[in-house]
Amino acid sequence: MANLNIDAQKEITYDAIVIGSGVSGGWAAKELTEKGLKVLMLEKGKNLEHVSGYTNALKAPWETEYNGRITVKQKESHPFLKRDYPYNEMTENYWMTDTDSMYEEKKRFDWYRPNIVGGKSIMWGRQSYRLSDLDFEANLKEGIAVDWPIRYKDIAPWYSYVEKHVGISGEKLGLPQLPDSDFIAPMDMYFVEKEVRKRLEKNFPGRHMTIGRVANLSQPSKIQLEGGRSPCQYRNRCSYGCPYGAYFSTQSSTLPPAMKTGLLTLRPDTNVREIIYDPQTQRATGVRIVDSVTMEEREYFSKIVFVCASALSSTALLLNSISDRFPNGMGNDSGELGHNLMDHHFRTGASGVWEGDHDKYHFGRRANGIYIPRYRNVGKDKRDYLRGFGYQGGGSRQGWQRNVAELAFGADFKEELTSPGEWTMGLGGFGETLPYHENKMYLNHDKKDKWGIPTVVFDAEIKENEHKMRVDMMNDAAEMLESAGLKNVRTNDRGSFLGMAIHEMGTARMGRDPKTSVVNGNNQLHAVKNVFMTDGAVMTSASCVNPSLTYMALTARAADFAVKELKRKNL
Amino acid sequence: MNRRIAIQRISMMLGGMISTPLMAGIMQERLNFGPSLEISLNQEKLLAEVADVIIPTTTTPGAKAAGAEKFIVRVIRDCYELPEQEKFYQGLDNLENRAKASYNKSFVDLTPEQKHGVVLKTTSEDKPFFMQMKGLTVTAYFTSEVGATEALDYLPIPGRFDGSWTMPKGQKTWAL
Repeated sequence: MANLNIDAQKEITYDAIVIGSGVSGGWAAKELTEKGLKVLMLEKGKNLEHVSGYTNALKAPWETEYNGRITVKQKESHPFLKRDYPYNEMTENYWMTDTDSMYEEKKRFDWYRPNIVGGKSIMWGRQSYRLSDLDFEANLKEGIAVDWPIRYKDIAPWYSYVEKHVGISGEKLGLPQLPDSDFIAPMDMYFVEKEVRKRLEKNFPGRHMTIGRVANLSQPSKIQLEGGRSPCQYRNRCSYGCPYGAYFSTQSSTLPPAMKTGLLTLRPDTNVREIIYDPQTQRATGVRIVDSVTMEEREYFSKIVFVCASALSSTALLLNSISDRFPNGMGNDSGELGHNLMDHHFRTGASGVWEGDHDKYHFGRRANGIYIPRYRNVGKDKRDYLRGFGYQGGGSRQGWQRNVAELAFGADFKEELTSPGEWTMGLGGFGETLPYHENKMYLNHDKKDKWGIPTVVFDAEIKENEHKMRVDMMNDAAEMLESAGLKNVRTNDRGSFLGMAIHEMGTARMGRDPKTSVVNGNNQLHAVKNVFMTDGAVMTSASCVNPSLTYMALTARAADFAVKELKRKNL
Repeated sequence: MNRRIAIQRISMMLGGMISTPLMAGIMQERLNFGPSLEISLNQEKLLAEVADVIIPTTTTPGAKAAGAEKFIVRVIRDCYELPEQEKFYQGLDNLENRAKASYNKSFVDLTPEQKHGVVLKTTSEDKPFFMQMKGLTVTAYFTSEVGATEALDYLPIPGRFDGSWTMPKGQKTWAL
């Protein structure tokens, strides 16, 4: 199979290979090169140049073909991605073609696979929150799954470290369940949000509403400006790629310093088929790849390997890295590899209308919402389910898209739409999903994708704990909005399938015991110490906050550890 | 090496990517992928007239002046399955027949009042077609250059954000 076309490039060796160029891979490349390592970063997708590659970023609406719609042909080649909004005319080029690697759904699973250098750091929602000890201690206290091998104090300095580079805009609250970041200036709230916040915090003691914590530069530091980044222009077009470098992406933030060292080689169009294992040394020696375009196969070698391909792709890669020592996938002595698959469950909440205050409008379009930190099962609050949820949402004034009288048309109808409508506000919960062993992904070795790599099967769903939580997520939202004075408050529950929140996690969990977990507290595979995993795969529990900031902190921490271990000659 | 690959290679050398629509433009391809209905010039003219009744010229130009029918034709052709396309154009034919039944004239030749009457009749006799046509017209118009910059206030790069901005007199809905 894999040894057909191995050419004479075997001498190509590096200090480190980083698999994936998204949030985690970018950080790994930056940290490892800045510490003096010669690094090869491999990316399955095509190259995407910063600024010049963002071909839709500055288009006026009339310069689009379909105002965001996708074509019948695109629906045919993207049978999974077509199901929700992240795949649209403007971001079409950033996502992988589903039919190149069809996966199987024992239960529905929405898998968002990018096809570009930078990965999902280009299209991400940029919401950035720290986990707390409420999260790190939850499994142990409740007897769920296994205990995290780390606590907040272990990761707190690394949150600070990455935040200073990234730039997280937000407001300090001093809450134990949602530790503050090292913030840059918070963004303003919409008029209606300020009104709702006042009433909500008065009517519900212990609940808070704050501006979203977001990786957009409200006020760039000197370091960020010198790095070629500029302040947010409030265009709200982030997912097309930002020509101002105003939000964190690999291209805007981690790739430039890594490139500056002269120690980074980036190879796009590179599918990593497997990690090569040497039973003599009990170490990985490198990777076997297939070129996504030419189908050429080759090998690269290194002292350490950082697996940062995003949770599910990283897990699939380990599952496909089979040897006599690891017949069920590299590092899978515990049998947990592929299990405990998590995502946040969401798409339920409420919205309403704020009457009056028509003399107030907004200037600019804020690419950020508001946030209500978790308050359920916090302190003395006890519910009939475990864990909790936070709310994301926000206010706005209705625009020309609003639904006025259904059958209206003509001059009056047109004039009505050319003036702004009412203020509105909505809240949507993001809930923690428990790590269930039976929620899993695995490989179908009989069905290969376009590159001859086994395809993935998903068998995972939200369960009773999540369904109970969703009742609160919906009803609390309505109660808070009504109490804040909104009218015509309506609840919604559009159903939530795993994968849709694009916060996939947990399939190679961290733990103390090699018998029950895949990686240790330093992100090393228990069984192969020179292989590090630092993406969502390692999450032992899901928390309810957006996870990317945690991947950045874990990656920087693991890179620091790895280089120290290399110097101690332990790897 | 065929032309498409050659262009892709050049764009890679220039360090950029060429988007699918742009590539189609260079290749002079039509972005029509599945089976699609062929639309006559008369049907396109009829669409423009109906759109112009839904969003007429007032103090600012209407849907016809904005070229709304071009967007509608493109979306129906490329983004709708064939049965949906057929249903939509059947609705348009029915509207034309309604005009002929009432006035013995084609819709495009009616007076503004007569056109308004035929569209009004359509809201009750074929509500699904009306709602679809209205939705497409509204999007086509307000995302057109004329609609976005003349009927609305267009500010592509605000540069700052103020969530409680005191609205100046004459401020229109933001286009974006």
